[in-house]
Amino acid sequence: MRVEIKKIAKDLKIALPDLITRPVGRKMYERVKKQLSVIHEDEVVLLDFEGIKVVDSSFIDEFLLRLIMDSRSSNPAFFIKLQSISDAIEINCESVFSSFRRLSEDRVAVITDRIIGNNSVYLGSLSKPERDIIDYLRVNKTVRVPEIAHYIGKSEPESEELAEVLLALRLIRRQKDGGNFCYASL
Amino acid sequence: MIGLLLLGRTYLRNTGQKLTLAGMQQPIHQYLSRMDFFKWGCFAEAVELDKSKQLKRSSFSNRVVEITEIPNRERESIAAITGIIAVFRKRAEHILKYWMADSTVDYFVTVISEVCQNIFEHSMDSGYCAVQTYSLAGEHVLRLVIADSGIGIPRSFSAKPEIVAESNARLVEMALTTPISSKRKAGYGLCQVNAIVEKLRGSIFLRSADSSVAVLYNRKRVGPGQVFLKNGLTGFPGTQISISLFG
Repeated sequence: MRVEIKKIAKDLKIALPDLITRPVGRKMYERVKKQLSVIHEDEVVLLDFEGIKVVDSSFIDEFLLRLIMDSRSSNPAFFIKLQSISDAIEINCESVFSSFRRLSEDRVAVITDRIIGNNSVYLGSLSKPERDIIDYLRVNKTVRVPEIAHYIGKSEPESEELAEVLLALRLIRRQKDGGNFCYASL
Repeated sequence: MIGLLLLGRTYLRNTGQKLTLAGMQQPIHQYLSRMDFFKWGCFAEAVELDKSKQLKRSSFSNRVVEITEIPNRERESIAAITGIIAVFRKRAEHILKYWMADSTVDYFVTVISEVCQNIFEHSMDSGYCAVQTYSLAGEHVLRLVIADSGIGIPRSFSAKPEIVAESNARLVEMALTTPISSKRKAGYGLCQVNAIVEKLRGSIFLRSADSSVAVLYNRKRVGPGQVFLKNGLTGFPGTQISISLFG
C-alpha cells in the first residue's frame, strides 16, 4: 500500500510543506491507521513523503515511531518503507531514533527507497553485519541463510539469528522457499 | 529586547500598570517599533515615534522576523508556530543568504518548531519569538531568540525525582544533551536543536531559573562545543533560548 503523506495532510487541512508538532503527528497517525485497516499480513506500506520538507521530532514521535511499533506488534504485522524523504527528514529521524535507543533497551530502524547519507537504505542504528545483510539484500533481493553466512563471514546459525533480528525490526521479509525459508528485501 | 518585553509583561501582570520607555535614542525607538515591540501592549512610549521616522516594512524583509507571541494553548500555539515558519520560509532566501543551502533553511525550521513547542508543552505560560540578522566587525550573525516567563526548566522537572542533577545548570545542560522529558518517557526536541546547531557550528545560550548554559560550537571547526555553565544567577522566571549562526 502506498500512503501519500502530502495528500493526507491536505485532506486534514494541515499547512505544508512542513509537518510539525505533536497534535499534527497524532492527527496524521489516526488517519493513516484508518487506511491501514485493510492491509494484509506482511504487506509493505510505502510512506511517500514527496512534497514534505521537514518533519520535526514531535511529529516523528507521534507518527512514525508509533507506526513502526504498530508494524511489529499489530495484527496484522506489516512492513514500512519510506519514500522521497528530504535531508531534513533524514537527519531528524536519525536523531530521534538514536535518542530512542539511548533511553530504551529497544531500537528502531526503517527502510528507505534510496541510498541515504549513511550510504545504505535504512535509517536507525544497525551493527556492521546487520547492515551488510541489508546491503546484500538490496542487491540480490532474495537470499538464503548460507548465502548470507558466506557474504558476512559468520556461521549459518549466527547469520540466521542476525536475519531474524532484522525481521523482528521489520527491515527484511521472510518467505517460504521449498521446505526452507529465504529472506527478501522490502 | 525579548527579555525586556517579558519584564514589561511581568510588571504589567503584577501591578496592572505599563512601564514607560522614555529617553530612547531614535535608532533604538525605530528598531523596537519595527520589531513590533509595542504591539503587545506591555510598554508605553513616553513619546510616540513619528510615522515619517518609522522604518520601512516589507513582507520579504531580509533581516528580521518580527516578535511573535507563542500562546500556551495548544491550538493557538500551533497556528502561531506555523505562521512564524511560513514567514521565515518566505524570507529565508534573504535572511540566510550567508548560510544559504536548502538544507540550512530546513534545519532552522526544525529549530524554530522544536523550541517554540517547548513553550506550550512545558512552560505553562506564553512567550515570544523573534529572528534578527546583523553584521558586526565583518562577521554575519543570525540570531533566533525564544523566551517565556513560565515555570522554567528546573521546576518543570520537579515532578520527575528520577532525574537528578548536581545543579540547575547541569539539569539545563542535560535537557540540551540528553533525551529527557518532564512530561514523557523521552524528549527529543532540545537534543535535536543541539545536534542541528552543532552541525551548523553555531552557538546556543539557554537560561532558566538561576542558571545558564552556553554551548559554543563556533569556536571550533569540528568536535564538541565549548560548554560554560553558570549557577546562582539572578532569578529569571521562565526560560530564554538564544541560538546564533555565524557566517
